[in-house]
Amino acid sequence: MIEVHGASFHYPRQEVLRQITFNVPAGRFLAVAGPNGSGKTTLVRLLGGLLKPSAGRIVIDGAAMGSYNTRTLAQKIAVVRQDMIPSFAYTVYETVMMGRTCHFGPLGFETEEDRQLVLAAMRETEVEPLGSRRLTQISGGERQRVYLARALAQDTPVMLLDEPTSFLDLRHRVRLFDLLRRLQSAQGKTIVTITHDLNLAAQYCDEMLLLGGPGRYEHGPVGEVFRAERIEACFGVKVIQGRLGGADVVLPVGPRPS
Amino acid sequence: MSRPLTGRLLAVQVAASVGVLVAVVLVCCLVGMQRVDIGRVLDGPGPVGSPNLDFEIVVRIRLPRVLLAGVVGMALSCAGAVFQALLRNPLADPYILGISSGAGLGAAVAVMVPSIAVWPLGGVIGPVAALAFVGALATVGLVSAIGRAAGGGGTTSLLLAGVVVNAFLSAVILFLISVAGGHQLQTTIFWLMGHLNTAALEEGRAIGLAALIVVAGAVVLFRLGPALNVLSFGHSDAQTVGVHVKAVHRTALGVASLVTAVAVSFSGLVGFVGLVVPHAVRLVFGPDHRRLIPLAGLYGAAFLIVADTFARVVVAPAELPVGVVTAMVGGPFFLVLLVRYARGHRWGQG
Repeated sequence: MIEVHGASFHYPRQEVLRQITFNVPAGRFLAVAGPNGSGKTTLVRLLGGLLKPSAGRIVIDGAAMGSYNTRTLAQKIAVVRQDMIPSFAYTVYETVMMGRTCHFGPLGFETEEDRQLVLAAMRETEVEPLGSRRLTQISGGERQRVYLARALAQDTPVMLLDEPTSFLDLRHRVRLFDLLRRLQSAQGKTIVTITHDLNLAAQYCDEMLLLGGPGRYEHGPVGEVFRAERIEACFGVKVIQGRLGGADVVLPVGPRPS
Repeated sequence: MSRPLTGRLLAVQVAASVGVLVAVVLVCCLVGMQRVDIGRVLDGPGPVGSPNLDFEIVVRIRLPRVLLAGVVGMALSCAGAVFQALLRNPLADPYILGISSGAGLGAAVAVMVPSIAVWPLGGVIGPVAALAFVGALATVGLVSAIGRAAGGGGTTSLLLAGVVVNAFLSAVILFLISVAGGHQLQTTIFWLMGHLNTAALEEGRAIGLAALIVVAGAVVLFRLGPALNVLSFGHSDAQTVGVHVKAVHRTALGVASLVTAVAVSFSGLVGFVGLVVPHAVRLVFGPDHRRLIPLAGLYGAAFLIVADTFARVVVAPAELPVGVVTAMVGGPFFLVLLVRYARGHRWGQG
């Protein structure tokens, strides 16, 4: 579904990604991890069409990224943003409905189909009871689910998430990963998420991409990439790895001797 | 207010607001220093040689001015709502990108150099209005070019460019005022305070043209409503849900600037309307731009008509600049709304 062929990206004075190649088959769940500044967000912005690679190609659902326009790309890929509160206090329902913007009728109003999709997305993410609340009146965890609902309402085969769990408590993190896996299996979504929750990602995702700065990355099934020595090399910390109650976990135990 | 917006609900609310506006127009045409009798007004213009005075006052003197106030109010309120959305800043108003100082400089130059000729425009709307119009558009063009050069699509560099250009041109205006003579001084200052320029009214055609541009502009901005809604969440969000951000940004900025320039060229710098009316409408009806833009336009028109009627009558036979009235009436009115509704709505942070 997503193919990245030798993609590089640099800002005018800074190289971020060098020659990255990987692909995510349809219906797979990929976790992207790495230290701050390693280019995770840049990579997701490339996949979402918000940045163009300086070199290399990205192919979405069999067609080159460049062959999509804003509208057709929005029908393939939805992006779940990091938490924010806009300057104007829209209601939860209004916000989720914005995911349908490019399907609105000629006068800019939603159709019955849009309404059904929005209500289904709100049920799925358990924000339906909040429908008439304003974004300013709900918690960060609730807002995160509202943005997830907006991406679901967009009804795309691919969903990208940029650190969706960073401001959530333990319970909400687990619920979010649970929900993502449910979407993957029930709706066949292809999901790419940036995360710092390595242990949760290892339990829920199929594949992992570790970014460690320009030219250094590891990609593969979780079983291959989620290894103490690779995580140590990527993050520059010493970790121990073991099995706890059936789950494979890593624990940081100090800086890595250099 | 939690009922989701549908086309039908919007149509009902727009129709009701048009009703309010029409009532305001009728009442304000009848209010004034000279008492008029409704029955006599309805008698029509009267025979040649002995004109019906009541009819003349209402239809030929007050109505054009009321209509002009409506057009200016509508333009400033719609533009204010759009600038607030584009800059994602509740403090934005139609003047924030330099339109006010550009128009002010144009007007000041036209007042001080009476011989200045402004190409074809001068014939339709008079040199002050024409030069104000040109100055407004030139300045907003300059500001957006600087903003683009400085920071891509970012709103912060655009805002900063606007603030700096506004400050610079205001200094130039103050310089011109400081060297101006008595009559020129008074004309310029009156213009800067904002008043509905009766001199510009001699050409009825001009008001018709202005009304046409402003209403057409409001329709275009209304059509951009769904895109403006998503733009409140930032350019990336808008793009990922399928909005062509650059095109929407350019169109919205261009149309909002055009209607603002039309308004200021007739009225000078009437403050407060473009800031307060969109907020008032948002507090009562919510932030959805599909509803905000039409209702802000209609209530902005009604508000400025009422304010200008005050300006005509409170110190009659003299007149107050309407800009003074909008601030004095609009301020407390807005505070009442703020206290009454903000409890339930709370402003977003950043």
